[in-house]
Amino acid sequence: MTTATRDIILPAEWRDFWALTKPRVMSLVVFTALCGLLAAPGSIHPVIGFTAILCLALGAGACGALNQYFEADVDAKMARTAGRPLPAGRMDRASALNFGIGLAAFSVGIMGVAVNWLCAGLLAFSIFFYAIVYTIWLKPNTPQNIVIGGAAGAFPPVIGWAAVTGDVTLIPVLLFAIIFLWTPPHFWALALFMKTDYGAAGIPMLPNVKGQRVTRNQIFAYSFPMAATAILPFALAETGLVYGAAAIVLNLVFLALAFRVWKNETTDAAAMKPEKQLFAFSILYLFLLFAIFAFDRMVIS
Amino acid sequence: MTQNEPSAFTAEETAIIRKRQAARSRVMGVALVGLCILFFLITVAKVGVWG
Repeated sequence: MTTATRDIILPAEWRDFWALTKPRVMSLVVFTALCGLLAAPGSIHPVIGFTAILCLALGAGACGALNQYFEADVDAKMARTAGRPLPAGRMDRASALNFGIGLAAFSVGIMGVAVNWLCAGLLAFSIFFYAIVYTIWLKPNTPQNIVIGGAAGAFPPVIGWAAVTGDVTLIPVLLFAIIFLWTPPHFWALALFMKTDYGAAGIPMLPNVKGQRVTRNQIFAYSFPMAATAILPFALAETGLVYGAAAIVLNLVFLALAFRVWKNETTDAAAMKPEKQLFAFSILYLFLLFAIFAFDRMVIS
Repeated sequence: MTQNEPSAFTAEETAIIRKRQAARSRVMGVALVGLCILFFLITVAKVGVWG
């Protein structure tokens, strides 16, 4: 906390360290990793499975903390992120950096010792990819930032799968591809109605750099390979009819919403109902798709 | 940025600091106990109950 008259920094509250880990993002990471773990063939000791998920959650927390350390100045310029511990002045930057590095080292080390070193390597790479490649290099420099950066968020189900099997086969690669292709329409829908926020912070999101028409085209275009990839596990007979039917329905709804975004011409953020609906549905879509995938695979096995 | 010297704080600020330190210590204590239990269970899972 900094006062106007004296440069006083009080120790941060534990809740601020918790906020650094971006708990909502962490919940999606934990969920997709758990689905990958449950869908994998074979079995895993419950304690080791729990440890794998815990390490993934801590690794995701490390990504959040390092991301907020590097982006403190940018976060201060956006209304959505100005209340975070660093831009709000509730924590000094060194604490955030130490917390992030500590969590990263701890999660990778425990993952390697308790689960396996393939998972540890994948976790270390995904933390490096998100905190360094995406946050420092891609995000401030290219409108394709979230296309490439989406890879970092696509690793959890692969790691969950590898915790059980010790290897990476076609199915976890498909799970990776689904999240990878889901990320652009998900984030660009948000970027369309948050354009002013990103613009004020100087982040080159697609709507700011290429315009809204190009962004809407790209959202619609990415939805097709995403839908095809989501249906592939069923087409390859790796899942049953339950997942197949659910994947078809969910992707038809996603495509319909993406079509409405594509047809929409408004530039007023307040009138961007299709964009807000697509963003909200995209989160539900991923949760349902992965939950039903895991359920279907568990029933089959 | 570094933490200020304790003497630089007012009584009110010192009370806030002590309260936060106590809360962080409690959270850290719970986390450490949890880790001890987890490491024990991992050891049991890895090497078995009888080694």
